[in-house]
Amino acid sequence: MKNIAIVFISMLSLQGFGQRKIDFIEYDLPNGIHVILHEDKTTPIVAVSVLYHVGSKNETPDRTGFAHFFEHLLFEGSTNIGRGEYSEIVERNGGALNANTSQDRTYYYEILPSNQLELGLWLESERMLHAKVDITGIETQRSVVKEEKRQRIDNRPYASFTSEIFKRMFSNHPYNWVPIGSMEHLDAAQESDYVNFYRTFYVPQNATISIAGDINVLQAKNWINQYFGSIPSGQAINLYRDYENLEDSLFEKTYGISKSKFYSEDFMNSSDPAAKKIIGNLSKKPIAIPRTEKDFSQLSGLITDTIYDNIQSPGIFMGFKFPDQNHPDSYALDMMNEVLSGGSSSRINKSLVEKMELATFAYAFNYGLEDAGAGLFAAIASQDVELSDIQIAFDEQIKQIQAELISDEEFQKIRNQYENNLVSSNSSVAGVAENLADNYVYFGNTDRVNILLDNYLKVTKEDIQRVAQKYLTLDKRVVLYYLPKQ
Amino acid sequence: MKNILLILFLVPLVLLGQIDRSKKPEAQTAATINIKDSEVFTLSNGLTVILSENHKLPRVSFDLVMSGTPQVEGEKAGLSDMVSSLLLNGTTNRSKDQIDSEIDFIGASLDASENSISMSCLTKHMDKGLDIMLDVLKNVNFPESEFERVKKLMASQLINTKSDPDGMASNVEFKVNFPNHPLGDIMTETSLNAITRQDLVDYYNSIFTPNKAYLVIVGDINIEKASEVTQKYFENWSGNSAIKTAIGKGAFHSGNQVYFVKKQGAVQSAIRITFPIDMRTGDTNQVALTVMNNLLGGRGFGTRLMQNLREDKAYTYGCYSNLNITENGSWASLYGNFRNEVTDSAINEILYEIQRISENPVSAEELDLTKSTMNGSFSRSLENPQTIARFALNIIRYNLDKEYYKNYLKKLERVSVANIQEMANKYFTFQNANIIVVGSEDILDNLKKFDSDGNVTILDAFGSPLEEILPADISAEDLINNYILKVTNSANLKEASKKIKKIKSVSQKAIMTNEQFPFPINMTELWVSPNKLGRKVEAQGMVFEKFYFDGKGGAINVQGKSINLTEDEISTYAKNEGLFPEANYQKNGMMTEILGIEKVNNIPCYVLKTNTGNSEKFDYFGVEGFLKIKTIEIESKDGETVESITSYSDYKEVEGLFLPHSKIISAGGMTFSGTSTFSLNGKEKIEEFMTK
Repeated sequence: MKNIAIVFISMLSLQGFGQRKIDFIEYDLPNGIHVILHEDKTTPIVAVSVLYHVGSKNETPDRTGFAHFFEHLLFEGSTNIGRGEYSEIVERNGGALNANTSQDRTYYYEILPSNQLELGLWLESERMLHAKVDITGIETQRSVVKEEKRQRIDNRPYASFTSEIFKRMFSNHPYNWVPIGSMEHLDAAQESDYVNFYRTFYVPQNATISIAGDINVLQAKNWINQYFGSIPSGQAINLYRDYENLEDSLFEKTYGISKSKFYSEDFMNSSDPAAKKIIGNLSKKPIAIPRTEKDFSQLSGLITDTIYDNIQSPGIFMGFKFPDQNHPDSYALDMMNEVLSGGSSSRINKSLVEKMELATFAYAFNYGLEDAGAGLFAAIASQDVELSDIQIAFDEQIKQIQAELISDEEFQKIRNQYENNLVSSNSSVAGVAENLADNYVYFGNTDRVNILLDNYLKVTKEDIQRVAQKYLTLDKRVVLYYLPKQ
Repeated sequence: MKNILLILFLVPLVLLGQIDRSKKPEAQTAATINIKDSEVFTLSNGLTVILSENHKLPRVSFDLVMSGTPQVEGEKAGLSDMVSSLLLNGTTNRSKDQIDSEIDFIGASLDASENSISMSCLTKHMDKGLDIMLDVLKNVNFPESEFERVKKLMASQLINTKSDPDGMASNVEFKVNFPNHPLGDIMTETSLNAITRQDLVDYYNSIFTPNKAYLVIVGDINIEKASEVTQKYFENWSGNSAIKTAIGKGAFHSGNQVYFVKKQGAVQSAIRITFPIDMRTGDTNQVALTVMNNLLGGRGFGTRLMQNLREDKAYTYGCYSNLNITENGSWASLYGNFRNEVTDSAINEILYEIQRISENPVSAEELDLTKSTMNGSFSRSLENPQTIARFALNIIRYNLDKEYYKNYLKKLERVSVANIQEMANKYFTFQNANIIVVGSEDILDNLKKFDSDGNVTILDAFGSPLEEILPADISAEDLINNYILKVTNSANLKEASKKIKKIKSVSQKAIMTNEQFPFPINMTELWVSPNKLGRKVEAQGMVFEKFYFDGKGGAINVQGKSINLTEDEISTYAKNEGLFPEANYQKNGMMTEILGIEKVNNIPCYVLKTNTGNSEKFDYFGVEGFLKIKTIEIESKDGETVESITSYSDYKEVEGLFLPHSKIISAGGMTFSGTSTFSLNGKEKIEEFMTK
């Protein structure tokens, strides 16, 4: 308990605004796992989540798609959980589970009855300690992931536009590719590539556990200590994994010591002096996790291209380079997007779709990421409409929001909408667990959940105009024309 | 054997710390639910207010529920459905658009049913939200235009029902379990037409009244504020005395009864084994009965019905048992969709499973599994504040023990193996059930054995007795000839064939709409002599589908993906040659058969069945006049069937031909109606429908 720092967050005054404070405690386990606990006894359920700070941006350019692939692979089972049993165990115990992968993170969660918290911790600790990363699982999931790509991207018209824009917008950053990655890379990868990815990124120091719901904090901490605190720290975790998986001869070759010197009944407390020394040394050596840098670069100019796709109607997709989501301007950029494209009464929908009838569908959205962001605009042309006319109409909207302050009524509407959205995003314990983890990992401030609305409500009409001028750079952007394949 | 043992010994069990990871942790004792007690007070107009404070989020919801007993609607069945669809569509102060936009501006939501209105929003927008809610409550005016729009919408939903086996089975279920009972009111085309705008107003005035009604407030509001806003907004709302009448529990009878609804060309039977249950909400046995039902056929793969009928026998993709316990009538239904050939076997197995659970104890293991699954989903459902609201309301409305829901999980834990058998015996029956089958006529004979008196009752899609099908007094050939004479406006077949020969092409342009679809769909169809076809479906300038057949081959292009016609399809199109393909049926060896005379919207029609190769077609020709009124086409492809129903009307003359200018197409759960224009011998070419 000595080296566990417990941080109590002081009360923040939030007068005037409708957001309730979310209380939580957070601390680090000695092995580096960050733990966030939010007690909410309203409902006897608990959301158990683990966020691994690894996404597609941590992949190497010749092994793209790995992070997302692992999200699949890590449901295959562990030393103590049979193949395919993950979801069955959860469902049979009244729970629900899922996972997702972005450019920046991989996130796993279960929602369980509160009397099954220990089960959730066991399931997640098994995943972290010794998941099955073997050829059988790899092959099964390779075909599943390929089906997923076919269904979600290849077979869906225009669905490649994010990857096409990012490819051109991020030439010097791994946002260059998107999480689904390359099927060729997954095929070309060897079992050892997968094992190495697991050994590098699925380690305690890269994990944040976020638990929200009907918990007894003391009891939860006890279990977290047992299931996660016992996971070897630093490079010792891979020593442990090797001890479990390698043949004695190979183990000895790697570490210069026979497996027999270790004490299998309490591995970390092996009494053999040589084994003890190795465990001690490796525990202290952190794993070198490759990190990426923020991308502050600007686009050099206008990048236009034409993509031929299996589509009937032409489409236009534009991308502007935005700052990363932790940048102070990101709040004003989000509000700006709400004016342009939030709901059916928004400017883009009213003008391009309803009044001018240029597009059957037109919208804009912000793609906020850890190292950079993107402002994306998309429209599908109405019959006989030239894409250039849509581009002109988009540009007019951009010029207008740059030239004039938005109206008071519009300003009030987006503030109301934002407030409602933010409040609703914390209505479930699963949502709270995810928001807490995100805020810790991405913003280094778990308590940001409590001040987020303030940040948005501080944005002025002038801020919106200023960021529109600064970031919606008409001369520096990616413009893609999607045309039907002949 | 030795080697295996050796390997087992060699696998090291590596332990970390004090826990044994090889064992799945056991669940702790189920938690009691932490629901705060509700505050209750009454307003002078008779409204009971139930406040369930929950300050977790700054949101508040107001659910206003009427307590009047639903009344039998009889020949205006469906009136209450219509009220719920129209309640938010206009007041004397606000149009529907205004209500929508004002609600959106504050990020609120407003909903209605046949006996309730609810509003939820951020607490700080409460006054604005209540202002709109009360405007609806006091000044709803069911605008004529909205009444007509919704009526049309419902008419097209009724058409969809006729091709929806589960919808038809459900209609029959209500009818047979609850005759002369509000639950047994099923809207039909006739009853929908009988409903007037004044009926809605009368219904509203009798049902929507503060007298004996409940207002459930949940969320971020304290008792002082709740008392203040209810006085301000709700106390000056007045109304009639709530109607309170005794209401029956449904029709319990002895002996199994079989009901059958014919669905032309069905390859699967929708089966429902159903019976009313002598129980009302909050009964002491409700939890135990629910556990029994879930073990027998609740959600999940492990239930008795799924294990037997899906995993073991592979009769179906899913077979379930639903239990509905309400204050106005309760019932169970065990249902699934089964291949034609195993329809009777499936009924046998479902009845057997009811018998088995009534006569033999269940295993402790399956009981535990059922209880923990229920524990989980119950607990998760509580996250939604509306669930809490419902509990608070039920406790008062049905006079339940105050701790009823708090102790739910404890009650669940206490359900024993003996309770399960007792519940099955007491409430379920395999001898006095209603057995409903919607399916092909081919299976009808196999159903007689299940009926206690051997008489299968045949019903229509809405559960009303089916008018008898009369034998036809005409041959298929004569019928087709009369039809051809009629549409070509000819005195004899020679003249008809001469006229047809002169026509080189017919182009039909239809504009089709659906109330729920935001924009009209343009359908262009072209026929070119002797046997070329083209079709294009577009909307908003986007082409959804292109199809052509040039006499020898063709392709269909859906959203940019082109698929060539198969050999089977080519041969079907080849056989369906001609502007009126019926004229060539005999020549091309098409199998036709007259099934009899049936009424379509009260018009007696000859039913002609045609086997076109890859589909079965049922054409309905008016007994008087011989015009084609309806076509049902059932296409089977890769083991799935797709059904479409087209109704034709508004026949008008176009250059000597009688052609239907209105049509309603219903397929895949959507109904489109529209008008067509025709042009003959134009310059359109089939090439326009090919994909370049």
